[in-house]
Amino acid sequence: MSDNGNKITLTIDGRQVTVDRGTTVLEAARSIGIDIPTFCWHPKLKSVGACRMCYVEIEKFRTLAVSCATECLPDMVVHTRSEKVLQGRKAVLEFILLNHPLDCPTCDKGGECDLQDHTFAHGIDDSRFDFPKYRFKRDPKSTFDDYRIGPEIIRNQNRCILCYKCVRANKEIFGEHDLGVFQRGNLAEIDAAPGEKVDSLYSGNLVEICPVGALTNTDFRYKVRVWKTKQVKSICQYCADGCNLTLWARRNRIFRATSRRNDDIDEGWICDRGRYGYQVANAEDRLTTPLVKKGEHHVEVTWDEAIKTIAARFREIKDKKGGVCIGGLAYPGLDSASLYTVSKFFRTILNTNSIDFRYDYKMLPEKAGDVYSEMTAQPFSITGIEKSDLILVLASHLINEHPITHLRVRKAVTKLGSKLYTVNPFATKSGDISTDEIIYRLGTLEALINGVCMALTEQSNEIKTKYADKLKSLIAPSSVEAASKISGVEKERIHNLARAILDAKNVTVIVGEILTGSATRENMASAISNMLLISGIPAKGQVGFLSKYANSMGAQRLGVMPHLPDATVERLKELWDNYPEQPGLAADRILLAGRKEEIDSIFVMGCDPLLLYPDGEFVRESLETLDFLVVADMFESKTTAMADVVLPLAGPAEMSGSFVNIEGRIQTFDKAINPPGQALPGYEIMNRLAAEMKNPLYESDRQLHDEITMLLDMNHKAPAIMDVQEAKYIAEEPGDEYNIALVVTDELHHFGHLTEKTKSLSAFCAESFLEISPALAEKYHAQNGTLLRVESEVGKVILPVRISEHIDNNVAMIYKNFAATPVNVLQMRKRRVDYVRLSRVEEK
Amino acid sequence: MNFIRTVFVALPKGFLTTLKHLFKKPVTRKYPYERQEMFPRYRGKHYLEIYDDGSERCVCCGLCAASCPADAIYMEGAENEKGERYAKVYEINLLRCIYCGYCEEACPEEAIFLGHEYEFSDDNRDSFIYTKEQMLANRPKKEKPFKRIIRKVRRIF
Amino acid sequence: MEKRILFKYIDDPEQVRIDKYISRGGYKAWEKALKQMKPGDVIEEVKKSGVRGRGGAGFPAGLKWSFVPKDSPKPRYLVCNADESEPGTCKDRQLMECDPHGVIEGMAIASYAIGSHLCFIYIRGEFGGPIRSMNKAVKEAYDKKMLGKNIFGSGYDLDLIVHTGGGAYICGEETALLNSLEGERGMSRIRPPFPAIEGLYACPTVVNNVETLACIPHVINNGADWYTAMGTEKSKGTKIFSLSGHVKNPGNYELEMGTPLSYLINDLGGGVIDGHKLKAIIPGGSSTPFLLPEQLETPLDYESIAAAGSMLGSGGVIVIHEKTCIVWVIERLIHFYKHESCGKCTPCREGTGWLEQMISRIEHGQGKPGDLEKIDTICNNILGRTICPLGDAAVMPIQSALKLFREEWQYHIDHGKCLVETECPFR
Repeated sequence: MSDNGNKITLTIDGRQVTVDRGTTVLEAARSIGIDIPTFCWHPKLKSVGACRMCYVEIEKFRTLAVSCATECLPDMVVHTRSEKVLQGRKAVLEFILLNHPLDCPTCDKGGECDLQDHTFAHGIDDSRFDFPKYRFKRDPKSTFDDYRIGPEIIRNQNRCILCYKCVRANKEIFGEHDLGVFQRGNLAEIDAAPGEKVDSLYSGNLVEICPVGALTNTDFRYKVRVWKTKQVKSICQYCADGCNLTLWARRNRIFRATSRRNDDIDEGWICDRGRYGYQVANAEDRLTTPLVKKGEHHVEVTWDEAIKTIAARFREIKDKKGGVCIGGLAYPGLDSASLYTVSKFFRTILNTNSIDFRYDYKMLPEKAGDVYSEMTAQPFSITGIEKSDLILVLASHLINEHPITHLRVRKAVTKLGSKLYTVNPFATKSGDISTDEIIYRLGTLEALINGVCMALTEQSNEIKTKYADKLKSLIAPSSVEAASKISGVEKERIHNLARAILDAKNVTVIVGEILTGSATRENMASAISNMLLISGIPAKGQVGFLSKYANSMGAQRLGVMPHLPDATVERLKELWDNYPEQPGLAADRILLAGRKEEIDSIFVMGCDPLLLYPDGEFVRESLETLDFLVVADMFESKTTAMADVVLPLAGPAEMSGSFVNIEGRIQTFDKAINPPGQALPGYEIMNRLAAEMKNPLYESDRQLHDEITMLLDMNHKAPAIMDVQEAKYIAEEPGDEYNIALVVTDELHHFGHLTEKTKSLSAFCAESFLEISPALAEKYHAQNGTLLRVESEVGKVILPVRISEHIDNNVAMIYKNFAATPVNVLQMRKRRVDYVRLSRVEEK
Repeated sequence: MNFIRTVFVALPKGFLTTLKHLFKKPVTRKYPYERQEMFPRYRGKHYLEIYDDGSERCVCCGLCAASCPADAIYMEGAENEKGERYAKVYEINLLRCIYCGYCEEACPEEAIFLGHEYEFSDDNRDSFIYTKEQMLANRPKKEKPFKRIIRKVRRIF
Repeated sequence: MEKRILFKYIDDPEQVRIDKYISRGGYKAWEKALKQMKPGDVIEEVKKSGVRGRGGAGFPAGLKWSFVPKDSPKPRYLVCNADESEPGTCKDRQLMECDPHGVIEGMAIASYAIGSHLCFIYIRGEFGGPIRSMNKAVKEAYDKKMLGKNIFGSGYDLDLIVHTGGGAYICGEETALLNSLEGERGMSRIRPPFPAIEGLYACPTVVNNVETLACIPHVINNGADWYTAMGTEKSKGTKIFSLSGHVKNPGNYELEMGTPLSYLINDLGGGVIDGHKLKAIIPGGSSTPFLLPEQLETPLDYESIAAAGSMLGSGGVIVIHEKTCIVWVIERLIHFYKHESCGKCTPCREGTGWLEQMISRIEHGQGKPGDLEKIDTICNNILGRTICPLGDAAVMPIQSALKLFREEWQYHIDHGKCLVETECPFR
């Protein structure tokens, strides 16, 4: 009964509890089920003891103690329901309610408000305050004091109880500084920083964390009371982090999405894309009926007719030229069942291997087993980041691609003392907390990594004796000097990075989209694999080549690719009894074959290659040349406009299914609402088509589920890296005229082609723009909003300028999510780096 | 003997009773030409009140729907031109409603009341979904004095 | 009795010049500490001398220094709290303006004792004169190599930074001061962890008042025994008292601890003005309870004043004569505390606002029956329940006034006007 190394025993309300040293009294009480009311405490934020609601009485303490900030001591005796404590809580509630307005009927937080709940449980019936309540008036003519401080956030200062959770979370967890406290005492106001709006990627979390209705969401404003809604478990359908959500639905309409805290992944924080992205489910312009092109226009038809049309044409092509003349492109954000049925349909019914989920990659390899595919198949552990003392982020705009992984990296660096090195072709938000933010010239990543390999040999004799000769023959450039010159990074910084890798006890390496989107990803992956091999990182840490879409990992494991690893092929042969022999084509080869008329038909499930494939001209020609194009999607797009048959697709909120995230974790989600009109889930479409052509793909849901589980549960640990790979850097210099490197990426608040259809995310950003450095803007006499023409060898686009301090290289960044300005017309699939030139638009 | 008693005593007594009632005033109320005046707290068909300047009182807070034991009320909230909260859709299913009056008690804005109307039969179920516009139009033109006094008394307790 | 140790040369305008200061024996203690004593010895000497914190809390300085962990790899900091905002106190201002080198020397010795190479002095932003004076003195000290690198050839480096505040009473509280020094909002932090373990930038920090640090060179020069010879058993040495209010000669007076209050007010202060009778005395700055004229003979030291029901605090003695309405005094005080409350914790933030509204209403004649009981319960809800002592400071004079001058409050409520009209030119 006292303390014993790391464990302390104390008594709370007569019950004994043993906890670790450093636990607070509040956490100890919660662990045995005693709920002490709080306002300003949050499990993920540092305690400040501001609200004084969590009083407890501890024997031998002079006054009431705040349990959220008092550490347990051995043999402490705590009372959480004594007279003094109950009176203390009443006193605090009386103080908070002094100037709190009687807004409950019109306040959105009603029904889930901490203040309401605590007042009913611990408060007094009537207030003794007989003065008029203070009002924070902004507009003297208005009857209420709601004030918009961001595209989605509305604040009402009268209701604020000054728990400071929003300001603390913004600063501690997200690293943003757009919300602050102004004035002093009970006139303190929480407001956006002067001249700023609260529009960071995590701004929605502030509304969720506010215990009262001081901060509310525009998109949920006044719509429904929370006790009327049904709460459905769901998973975010955008990036591959796989945050857990709760969808709040009523009568076939989803009203909002909130976080469903999962400490292994998101710790209760979600980004705005997941928070507002559910709005695609109820958007008004969803496709609701199948369409068939008769003449020039699409005509609405029944499902029967649509399926029969497709089956007839497929049969025709198969009989004439063989099933290999039909290709399939699947969206990796679809659920596992839809992806699996696509694979099964193409392989068993059409007898072809030509399906692919990588519809937005340049120049895919022709066979399986390349270094890049193997490394992307490995699972990654998000909580493993916390264990590392060195985190290396390579070629990844982390906050853009994996916002929640970015938060975990922030946690490791700011709270747990890890060191961060970012290696990117432009400055990113992760760089703010890094020990060194290395910026290399776009397109020279393998040169830089080879330089790091050579630096490792120079710094460690062991590595030198083992690998130096092999490296010199297989990699180029093979000296730190040369690498430094090519990539534009100083020698000392390369050496510092190597030193840090050698000294670290546990290293996490994160590789992202900038590498994936490049045409020479295999070469770069080889270079990185060399670096991992010689520094021994896989043994002392983890490597993550993070996939992008919600189910990219699932698509890979379920085999939605032409060239599969042998183990997967064996398993599929067992399941299906037949497997096509002829090797299939990858996505870009499918499109190429389409253009050369070797493929007559493509089935596009859920994606929009015309908008997002990195070579606009190429993909348009391919799709135009096809005889028969079938597109299944949620919304109309330019791709559906070209299609012969358009099928309405149901989204993840309208069916139950599963996603596999970057950790390889299979997460299921439930159905919240019915699909609009006659839309059907992907697996249902494939099954009907298969039934029409030969036989259904599965007899029962159970069978489908079992087959998928069998594939997903296969052991996917990557083979150990055996030896040094060849990794020679091939330069691709800018031309004289086109000399500004182009980066095409997702805008911060958008993802892929779907988020543009949501109202809230469009409120943050509704059109594409060109982001350039101040120096570059100066050259063209451009300010924010000036229109500039961006031209490459193959296309041009006119965009407004936004000047950004973050871009400091000769780089232009443009955003691909907006159908009005497709920017892939500037890109060429064979080029590893696209170059453009800028010019002013003389007419308006 | 019994025969004489029956014929000359009992029978005339009976007939006299009938004759007496023949000339008494009937208690039959000739509905629908004569209607009974309802007591002030009678709970009939609902109506929504407005402020003196014509704006609706209902702010779509949801308390009436929450307190309704029959789950008869459906509402959807929205923002009006002034930015205030109001009920875009407000419907009561008059067939589900049990006319208990809990919604009137729960309302913090004194917006919904149960009036005295009880004559609303129809021949299809859909017409019993009573909308907000109908409820606003159903307001009694002049407030019955008793109802106001009852409200005041109720507020004290 | 009056004893000028810190104030020995305070009236001489030449004292601010470093050569004059050195000629009078200045910076000898600094040299002695650096060359002849170890840091542990300095802490022992100060502990033995019994120097107590002069900012208000009275915590023994040597004991506070010894809390700094000896084996922490983090840098240590010494911060001198020159944010003198306690109403009624103006002693630090005179020390900084007229004898800045005494303060610098004290800071230097204290830094050496805790192993700090960077010390700060946080001066209240409104103190124009002391800021200029300190800046000039620090520059002189650097020029004469009393600060900077390798002082006196001992190998010890010390840098001193003068930082000015923005105008907040709350920044006189040590954790709020540290927050303000870091560039954040000046709001208090919860303790534990104490600043000696995790203070400025989460490093071990010692925060001391100006007067406390100014005593240190004298202790080092003359020894602990010399210091303990003055004062009472538990309160050693001398203290500067700022006398203000209704007296003939207000000002700063340095007295030996244990001197009776009557000596300060009548002998040094010249007695109450205009021949009025004494009504009440606030002994330690406006945050302390009142003392009555019967307690005039109380000795001025921590224990005796505490036994009399008040606190010695910062030594700002305010004298109030009979032609003053106590409710008016309390109204002015609570207005100050409400304005200065930082707003972090609920009881102080909402409570001081509510109290100000109620007391103001009573003073202006609209008090309701039951108000006094309400004020008492509100005060009990704030006392001891806040993060920092500002809540207690706001509440203690109110409760003391309610206890000692109840009839004046009751008269306000019953009749709607003051029992005693205040004669004051600033009304």
